[in-house]
Amino acid sequence: MAFNFNWSPLIADTSRARDMLTTALNKSPKPPIIVDDIIVTELNLGSTPPELEILEIGDLAEDRFRGIFKMSYTGDAFLTLKTKVQANPLNTYLSTKPDFASPMPLAASSGLTIPLQITLSDIRLSGFVILVFSKQKGITLVFRNDPLESLKVSSTFDSIPFVRDYLQKVIEEQLRVLFMDDLPAIIHRLSLRLFVPEFQELETETEERLDGSHDTTAPIDPLLTPPQDAIDSFGNPIDVSQLTALSLDPTSEMHASFSKSNILRLAALSESQRTLSLFTPGIQEAVFRAWANNADQPNSGAATPALTQSSLSRIQSTFGSIRSHASSVASGSTGQETYSSRPTIVSNYSAPAGLSLGANRGTRGQMRKRKKRVVDLRRNKEGAESSGVSTEASTPLQSTSVSETASSVIPEEREKEEALAIPPKSASESHFPSKAAHENLNVGGEPSRLMEQSASADGLLPAAPLLADAPKLSRPKQKAAAVSAVPIYLHEPSEQDQLQHQQQQQHNQYQRSSSSSRPPLSRNRLRPTQQATSPLLRSLSFDKVTSLSSAAAANSKFPSSPPYAESTSSSSGGILEQAWMMKMASEIARKVQVEERKRREGGSQGNERRGRGGKEARAATTGGIWTAEEEDAPPPAYVA
Amino acid sequence: MLDFMDNVQNAFYEASHWNLDNSYGALNATARALLDFQTPKGLRLQISSLAAPNFATSYTLGNVGVVDGSVSYLYSSLPLHRKLKSSELDLHHVVRGYRHLQELRKPDEDWWWEIWHSGTRIDRRDTLLYGRIFLPQSRLEALYLRRLTPTRQLRVSAVSDSALNNGGTILTLLQNDTGKYSTEYLYSTDSALMGVRGLYNFGADPRVAPTNPVTTQQTSEIVHGRFSAGAELYYGLLNKSGGISTGLRFTTLPDHTGFPYTMTLTLNPLMGNLSSTYAVKAGHNLALCSRFDFNFYSYESELQLGCELWRRRRSSTDVEWAVNKIRPDWKQATSTPDDDVSGILKARVDQDWRIGLLWEGRIKELLFTLGASLDLRKREQVFRAVGIELQYSS
Repeated sequence: MAFNFNWSPLIADTSRARDMLTTALNKSPKPPIIVDDIIVTELNLGSTPPELEILEIGDLAEDRFRGIFKMSYTGDAFLTLKTKVQANPLNTYLSTKPDFASPMPLAASSGLTIPLQITLSDIRLSGFVILVFSKQKGITLVFRNDPLESLKVSSTFDSIPFVRDYLQKVIEEQLRVLFMDDLPAIIHRLSLRLFVPEFQELETETEERLDGSHDTTAPIDPLLTPPQDAIDSFGNPIDVSQLTALSLDPTSEMHASFSKSNILRLAALSESQRTLSLFTPGIQEAVFRAWANNADQPNSGAATPALTQSSLSRIQSTFGSIRSHASSVASGSTGQETYSSRPTIVSNYSAPAGLSLGANRGTRGQMRKRKKRVVDLRRNKEGAESSGVSTEASTPLQSTSVSETASSVIPEEREKEEALAIPPKSASESHFPSKAAHENLNVGGEPSRLMEQSASADGLLPAAPLLADAPKLSRPKQKAAAVSAVPIYLHEPSEQDQLQHQQQQQHNQYQRSSSSSRPPLSRNRLRPTQQATSPLLRSLSFDKVTSLSSAAAANSKFPSSPPYAESTSSSSGGILEQAWMMKMASEIARKVQVEERKRREGGSQGNERRGRGGKEARAATTGGIWTAEEEDAPPPAYVA
Repeated sequence: MLDFMDNVQNAFYEASHWNLDNSYGALNATARALLDFQTPKGLRLQISSLAAPNFATSYTLGNVGVVDGSVSYLYSSLPLHRKLKSSELDLHHVVRGYRHLQELRKPDEDWWWEIWHSGTRIDRRDTLLYGRIFLPQSRLEALYLRRLTPTRQLRVSAVSDSALNNGGTILTLLQNDTGKYSTEYLYSTDSALMGVRGLYNFGADPRVAPTNPVTTQQTSEIVHGRFSAGAELYYGLLNKSGGISTGLRFTTLPDHTGFPYTMTLTLNPLMGNLSSTYAVKAGHNLALCSRFDFNFYSYESELQLGCELWRRRRSSTDVEWAVNKIRPDWKQATSTPDDDVSGILKARVDQDWRIGLLWEGRIKELLFTLGASLDLRKREQVFRAVGIELQYSS
């Protein structure tokens, strides 16, 4: 077996790499001595290619590759930078000091800026490189150790030894950061540009969105968590590795097919149902349906998440984020699910984040650990399902996010219920339209799933096959509830009403859980989603959501038309059952909290991603058991 | 506008007969006041009080960052009698503008400070202690000021902040001022910086009173200005770097009949920086200033223009004629000085069209400072910073 590395085309055009290097160099805060932007004027990769020694190949196919190399480079590449420096040491020294104890020189600190040209040459590199290539996701290149051995810095100030040494030191530091952090990102972006044509159009959109991404309320679409989009939206190196990690599960292949144009089409499709328009856009080679009725695969609910409700909700949430106004209105119709399902989205997102954490500098041991975790899951599945936690664990890897959701929902939900004293809570929600949209679109999904689990823990039914399926049973009820709830809230909700409403809400939840845990119903619900050949043209869930939202839109003065009242119409659960459920819920919540605390103690080290936004941070903290394990997940390259 | 505590410190200098202007560091104080003024950022409130003649407190609340603030205390062994209430203080004390230098005064004799009581000397050296803590940052500033002799002063200032290297820095400054010349020696713990500054005033020595009777010819020849020259030298022991500068100043004295003006020229021979300023007090209410910087190593140049305008309320027209008729000294009968000042406008602009604006004044018992800095080059974000500061002191 032989590889052919073609070095020469890389030498040809370096202008784009130059631009990226320029932005990378100016990103981090510069020392006070540098008073201007650092501009890369010349970049030459040289004629000598680096020597690569293959240490390990994890995966090899026509369109993907994963391997570890030992790289050593002694070539003639060079790099020329241009910037301006402050030549007066007193000036730079005083600029960092507080005025109060400053000697306040009159003119001795006056500045003298000098243009500086630095040439980096004789770069000696040696290190271990992890290279992951996939046609769809581009190239991911990570250095396992600090590759920089030595380099020669020649500058305008070579005659002054003090300045020369200083520059040498500072530049070496900066280069180390560049190699370890910035270069992987640059290479990945470049490769995406090359291999994924869609990336180019997405990137422009991304750049606009990037400005807003610092906002904590910035929408994080669950749809975008699958590999391709995740990278696109934030262009982060972590996302890069996360992508490869995700590529392990078969689900990612499905998600990859959600190209932007497809999503737009789907958005148009579902949007057309929100209006009275009779127009229905056609999608080639696809049948639009949500219900299927074939019961061929009774056990595969978890294994085929692509067509489960969660994926559908992804589609919707995407268009929700595109047209946020309508969805904000719709958010009102979801009621308590709004709250309980929010962590779902978040953990959907955070799960890959956790996976990616160890990616850059993981070790083999962690990989084994991860594998073991998968085994654990399966064992649990066969084994005892006596506790709520273990049932969650019984979902296979692909639906990790779903089970996470379940575990994370509990404390969240309980808190929220307490904080829920005022019915029109989604008024505040609707400020964040797209968020609300996700929530909306997960209607009835996760929370009742959770309840299924706890109910199954009750011994009513083994929960595992139900897990990945959304209990759509509750939907019709919700619809009815929404319709009935609107008139209820037309009058001013008094405190008593609120109390009642709260009680109802709890009540309702338990009831729904008990009803949804009835085996025949849930089976019915579960199977159809896996069927691709169903002749149904219209998704019932879509139908429901749209009708709900239109109802809510009609009564937009009452943005929350919660379906809580539903409980009254459904069969009533016994008080004993209710009490038991309470107990179970608190038990699960307690377990989750213990896990969380453990994790917090252990895993507070630099999760870059966690700091990105409040939402994600919260996801990380509410992530529960799985995030704890996934934080030290191995690098993608190792997971063959 | 000057901080309350700075005003109190100036009051201490005044009470202890220390001439702040006779120092090389204050050589271009006029130009700095007119061109380098700070524009406030965000909202800042200050409540201060000189509770006793020896003790002052001040509290500041600002919204830079989230909410930050500072608490400061000041003790002076010398009772301070300057009016510091915001309703009655002299605006010239808190608004730094054109500095009209006074005639040099003869330093106090040592024995003037002696106080004897039943055969023993009981006088103490005047001391000022000042501390200020910035709250969210936990940054502490401290100042110790002591008049060692009538011609000597020790000033130790320290900042403690975990964000700084070594957790803080201390600056010790020993100042000598004999009138004719002044010298300063300083040492900073930060990189062991040492420095010397000196200023020499040409002309008559204030310590030597003219003994001969002044002839009429001499009075006509009398110089209405003062020429000063100075230099400074710094050297950091730890980072082995230094700095040097020299400067000249010519300023008119109060007995000058024309417009008062000040010219300075400073030179940094190491860095090749040459800076000249020219400030003129064009009227009772207007001062103008310009500065030109040139670097003869990098050929970079910079021009700044600034002005200060005191805006006074017109007295009502029906009594104006009467006000004009009365003798000038009678006008001072008003209880508070500058009662008719509605505000002071300061503005500066440089060659890059960066503009700084400041509007200061007094409304009722509140002192306010409104400021903005603009950058006309950046069309999309013209306002760089806007802020308002309110001060109340009692």
